[in-house]
Amino acid sequence: MMYVESISLLTKKYNQYIVITSRIREIISESGINHGMVTVMTKHTTTGIAVNEALECLESDIEEFLERLIPEDYPYSHARMLKDYGSTAGNPTGHLKSLVTGNHCHFPIADGEMISGGAQDVYFCEFDGPANRTINVVIQGE
Amino acid sequence: MFIDMHVHPAFYEPINTDPEMERLRHHTLNIHKNGITPLEHIFNQMDCAGLDCLCLLPEDYHTRQDGKVLVSNQEIRRLVDMAPDKFIGFASVDVYDPKAAGKLEEAFTDLRLSGLKLHPGHQHFYPFGEAAKPLYEICEKYDKPVVFHSGLSWEADTLTKYCRPDVFEELAAAHPKLRICLAHFGWPWCRETAMLMLKYPNVYTDTAALYFDCAEEFYRQILTRDVPLTWIDRSLRHQVMFGSNNPRFEQIRMAEAIEKMGFRDSTLDLIRSRNAISFLGGLPEGGRS
Repeated sequence: MMYVESISLLTKKYNQYIVITSRIREIISESGINHGMVTVMTKHTTTGIAVNEALECLESDIEEFLERLIPEDYPYSHARMLKDYGSTAGNPTGHLKSLVTGNHCHFPIADGEMISGGAQDVYFCEFDGPANRTINVVIQGE
Repeated sequence: MFIDMHVHPAFYEPINTDPEMERLRHHTLNIHKNGITPLEHIFNQMDCAGLDCLCLLPEDYHTRQDGKVLVSNQEIRRLVDMAPDKFIGFASVDVYDPKAAGKLEEAFTDLRLSGLKLHPGHQHFYPFGEAAKPLYEICEKYDKPVVFHSGLSWEADTLTKYCRPDVFEELAAAHPKLRICLAHFGWPWCRETAMLMLKYPNVYTDTAALYFDCAEEFYRQILTRDVPLTWIDRSLRHQVMFGSNNPRFEQIRMAEAIEKMGFRDSTLDLIRSRNAISFLGGLPEGGRS
């Protein structure tokens, strides 16, 4: 059996880290699936899904690490008019940060619960906000 | 205060209830994959850019579009009423509509809109041709400014020959009390725009241009090299307004980039808001002061 649900978010900042673990657990509960796997995947290419400890200090460390790795002030090629959008690309750092975090994560499900470590939370990472975002949660099992 | 004088609200959620109209807007504006935008997102975007007010521009080319008005004056009024402290609304009429003058008068009186937006390249008229002359008289009668598209247009079915800056000179000369904005700095003819601003104090421009590179690189090209920074900072500082052309261009990054060009603080203050307030003839009722 497969159960698919989505999470919609209106992000408020250019870069923003939002913990979505409790919403994923709710969706697992709503799915009625007791044993299987959950996949959490963003629908966008300038956002990420990351698993880490939900601490303010780590959020700022992660944000600063990504800024050092992928600075705003750099002559990126992704800065030009895109004809199929009719607009100018200006978000290369978002795409590259997304590449680093990845766009999805998986967790096992047993007895209707998501099996995760005590320090593990799921972050939705906004790298080109503010924006209207969608995350797919796909649960497979029985 | 910080005002974006060039925003197209065609994809704002409250005025997008008809999928067919939404498709027409994507096609005509030649903007795609951007989705429909809730006002809450617009306000979040304004916060990130540090913007206080947006000037919303409608688009009426209905004699060339089976009678369909792309974004109507009534829709603009509806949006302004939803956030009167954040939105300034302009009017648009199709110059080839026999009722255009009456509609414009109604837009200024009944709908209380703040100016007129015309796109000669899309509407296929020369700015000083006979078709548009009655509209300028109405703008002068009500002391309302006109924003013209000028320079390159990315919209479908547009011709640049109608919006090169030099075709606006006769209008600027014949109507010295009519405040006109040659939007997008007239790109790629930025020096022609600068020439007209130097000669005619009723000619303004906005910075709604981002056709190559990133916002900072493109602004540095057009605002410090094509037109040397000193020309703006010393001579044209009362005639340049900030504009983004959002959603086509990057409002937040453009708002950041304008700060980095090296203008004097007093010039930046003029570009960010004071020139817009002068151009508008004061902030409309509901606008922040």
